[in-house]
Amino acid sequence: MTTLTDTPKQGFRLSQLIYDTRYRSITIQVIATVLIVAALWWLARNTVANLTALGKDFTLEFLGNRSGYDINQRLIAYDSNATHGRAALVGILNTLLVAGLGCVLATILGVIFGVLRLSKNWIVSRLAAVYVEGFRNVPLLLWIIAIFAVMTESTPSPRDFRGENPVASMALADNVAITNRGAYIPEPLFANGLGDVEIKPGGVFADLYFNVSIDLIVILLTLVVSLLVVKLVNTRAADIQNATGVRPTTWWVNLLIIVAPIAALLWGLGFYLGKPELSGFNFSGGTHLRNSLLALWLALSLYTGAFIAEIVRGGINAVSKGQTEAAFALGLRPNRTMRLVILPQALRVIIPPLISQFLNLTKNSSLAIAIGYMDVRSTLGGITVNQTGRELEGILLVGLFYLLLSLAISTGMNWFNDRVKLKER
Amino acid sequence: MSELAIERQIDRSHMTISDEVAIQINNMNKWYGQFHVLRDINLTVQRGERIVICGPSGSGKSTLIRCINRLEEHQSGDIIVDGTELTSDLKNIDKIRSEVGMCFQHFNLFPHLTILENCTLAPIWVRKVPRKEAEDIAMHYLEKVKIPDQAHKYPGMLSGGQQQRVAIARSLCMKPRIMLFDEPTSALDPEMIKEVLDTMIELAEEGMTMLCVTHEMGFAQAVANRVIFMDQGQIIEQNEPHAFFNDPQSDRTKLFLSQILGH
Amino acid sequence: MKKSIMLGALAVAGLTAASASASTLDDVKARGKLNCGVLSGLTGFSQPDANGVWEGFDVAVCRAVAAAVLGDSTAVEFVPLTTQVRFTALASGEIDILARNTTWTFSRDTDLKLDFIGVNYYDGQGFMVPKSLGVTSAKDLDGATVCIQTGTTTELNLADFFRANNISYEPIPIETNAEAQQQYLAGACDVYTTDASGLAATRATFEAPGDHVILPEIISKEPLGPVVRHGDNEWGDIAMWTLNALIAAEELGVTSANVEELSAAATTNPEINRLLGTEGDLGAMIGLDAQWAVRAIAAGGNYGELFEKNIGVNTPIGLARGLNAQWTEGGLIYAPPFR
Repeated sequence: MTTLTDTPKQGFRLSQLIYDTRYRSITIQVIATVLIVAALWWLARNTVANLTALGKDFTLEFLGNRSGYDINQRLIAYDSNATHGRAALVGILNTLLVAGLGCVLATILGVIFGVLRLSKNWIVSRLAAVYVEGFRNVPLLLWIIAIFAVMTESTPSPRDFRGENPVASMALADNVAITNRGAYIPEPLFANGLGDVEIKPGGVFADLYFNVSIDLIVILLTLVVSLLVVKLVNTRAADIQNATGVRPTTWWVNLLIIVAPIAALLWGLGFYLGKPELSGFNFSGGTHLRNSLLALWLALSLYTGAFIAEIVRGGINAVSKGQTEAAFALGLRPNRTMRLVILPQALRVIIPPLISQFLNLTKNSSLAIAIGYMDVRSTLGGITVNQTGRELEGILLVGLFYLLLSLAISTGMNWFNDRVKLKER
Repeated sequence: MSELAIERQIDRSHMTISDEVAIQINNMNKWYGQFHVLRDINLTVQRGERIVICGPSGSGKSTLIRCINRLEEHQSGDIIVDGTELTSDLKNIDKIRSEVGMCFQHFNLFPHLTILENCTLAPIWVRKVPRKEAEDIAMHYLEKVKIPDQAHKYPGMLSGGQQQRVAIARSLCMKPRIMLFDEPTSALDPEMIKEVLDTMIELAEEGMTMLCVTHEMGFAQAVANRVIFMDQGQIIEQNEPHAFFNDPQSDRTKLFLSQILGH
Repeated sequence: MKKSIMLGALAVAGLTAASASASTLDDVKARGKLNCGVLSGLTGFSQPDANGVWEGFDVAVCRAVAAAVLGDSTAVEFVPLTTQVRFTALASGEIDILARNTTWTFSRDTDLKLDFIGVNYYDGQGFMVPKSLGVTSAKDLDGATVCIQTGTTTELNLADFFRANNISYEPIPIETNAEAQQQYLAGACDVYTTDASGLAATRATFEAPGDHVILPEIISKEPLGPVVRHGDNEWGDIAMWTLNALIAAEELGVTSANVEELSAAATTNPEINRLLGTEGDLGAMIGLDAQWAVRAIAAGGNYGELFEKNIGVNTPIGLARGLNAQWTEGGLIYAPPFR
């Protein structure tokens, strides 16, 4: 960019740097680069100088110190004796959990309401419009707090389940307790479980230890094998369709292939459901889905779902009416038309804006702190920063995490987008 | 007369008209809200007939042929196609649509599928033809429209004329007994019109029953055995081409012909 | 919240080298106003009244400093801060003094580059539970759900207490006192824990304060005091000795009612004379005039007056002096000699 060796034969005049379109863009780029580098250098130098003046040095050593605080929702082993780094990891997993769940539910809601909004049924399309406009036009933070408040205020407290004539009772044959602290649902347990494997990396990654249930691995492996067999059956069905034109019915074979091995395996492992039971102040046993997780998940999904609904609607509308007519004229039924003609074309319009919605959802999950959901912003960027006073390091690390996560999501989605993209000329 | 004269010698040996009725339309009416688009249409099409429908824009000619395969719904009267009455019954609609092929002004090829896939989609999913066989049929018709070498390209890579010929081949793959053409050459550059018309003439020579909305009067004169003139939702006049062009009865027909042919 | 931390971090990092090193006293005098960081609303400690005038026990410290330095106890800009941003605000120079229920700890005093200038309230972390739970000791709280304000020493003490007693709990981290109160009253948590003074203040605002009990266990030492930036010792001295002047005034019997009279002419008590500037030149030693302590005491009264007026037994908060009595009364409140 900075080399100007290929000067024209008639000689190079300095004014060409400004007036000659060939050099003008280079000149502008060089100036911009110099300015940006200078600004960054000034900021970095100032930061270092000021930190030194305050007697603070830039260090990540605090990540190895004892955190001293507890976290309620932890997907991996953690207590107040663990390090700040471990606390950050717990937060990262919580962020990934709510972002992953959110993207899935938001997509489902978005597709359903996007299609419903196109419905010819007046009431259905109006209802979908009310949903979209209601969620799109109110700030997300308000929805998070409102949903959390409703969940807290409208549900009974665990102490209401106690006593001779309790005010509240458990639902679904005493399997589920809905309380103002969240939902307690049965958890899967194994009487003849195979135990856990401990994964313990060393060195800098010593904080990344975690246990993996062998039961879970075996179940997943079985599922993968079953799915491969199903794929084989489907390929065969397609071959038969190509050869004879008639596609054999495969859904019950597929169902059997998926269900039977898993059922046999679960029986062998002694699978049973651990019910939540009232003991002391709270329910114990079962899985506790905290209100903070549920409220954040719902709010993020409903809010982003409203945007996705509009993207889906726009995508379907972008496919010209002529495509439907041509498919109809060829005798294709509406559902096949949607699946074979409209959706494949709509997808390529839908996916790029869908990527940014996924990114938005992931980043918006940092509003978790408003309702005390312990995501990475609340642990590393919140309590840890406060306890250690390392705000610059903490916030930079949190920022770096969101940056990497966003890049990973868009890389994945762009790869998918390339696969469905329309080929032209 | 259109600038594009039909130069080729037309083989009329197969262009026989049987007594069998292909399409019967009785007292058909259609409204768009308050607007009365089609008024008391009565039309009988014999098998093997080649009908050209013309008229000023907004006269309802496109709407008429789109009613025949129920892309538009009529509100009163009967439409009977190949002995099947067109009602809201889905089975009847499916049956008629698989017997009636249609070509559109803007081709409406499926841009995400290759030319070959465009041609095999409906045979495979509607007629349940094995893929191999469907591909053979498709290649046969693509050869017929003279673009077999484009089979594995995508529609976006083809010229307008080529795309319209693919659209014709795509319809033919369903082996329809009736073909509808809705202004098939209006969106084409002049040099591409001829290649599409040639394809249509070939189709006529094989005895296909055709209803064609077009302003190509050369085509009408050379191929059609009946020309229908429509205005304001009504059939004003119909006649065999020679008489229609040389001795129009109605004033509106005369005016239209003078506008379209006069220089 | 997020924004202010980011801005604060940036400000510390890049943009405010000057204010961190220049003299705070000169800055305050030039500005004509003292910037004081306070809690955003805790009855009795710092809360705006119906007219938007800040009042309370912590607020009074800032008013006394403003009176001493600027001669006007109303020349204070109060900046409400959450627990999470309070230190950043101080370090970045956004405020001159932080009087916000802040616990004096080793790491805050050293690693965070803060200077605690004394203790204005000896507190300890306690637990509040609804009476209907029938809990009498914090050790009965096994399995309880506990609401805590995040970003405080509270959650560290809590973790240590439950760990030491080998009982489990479910922490619900909450940003502000108001939200914690709402969650606690809705029954989303069984227990609310914060400093005992804060619990008493919070309970005072309930519709039925009698339905809630504060458990006897005090699980931590929480010496709460005003904080200044580390490194500006002149400013630190002014703040420290203003607080000590209020404490000494109570011990010596100097009140807002008699301070004018006692400072008019030298009295028989030389310590009172030195404090009120009728003898010696203590004011000059900290860069102020001789009347500085008179103005500080006149602003709201001595330490005892401020306590009784804002949080004492006759207020809705109803806190007894306890540890916060003068050393002569068996408490810990003790000012070094003015000489």
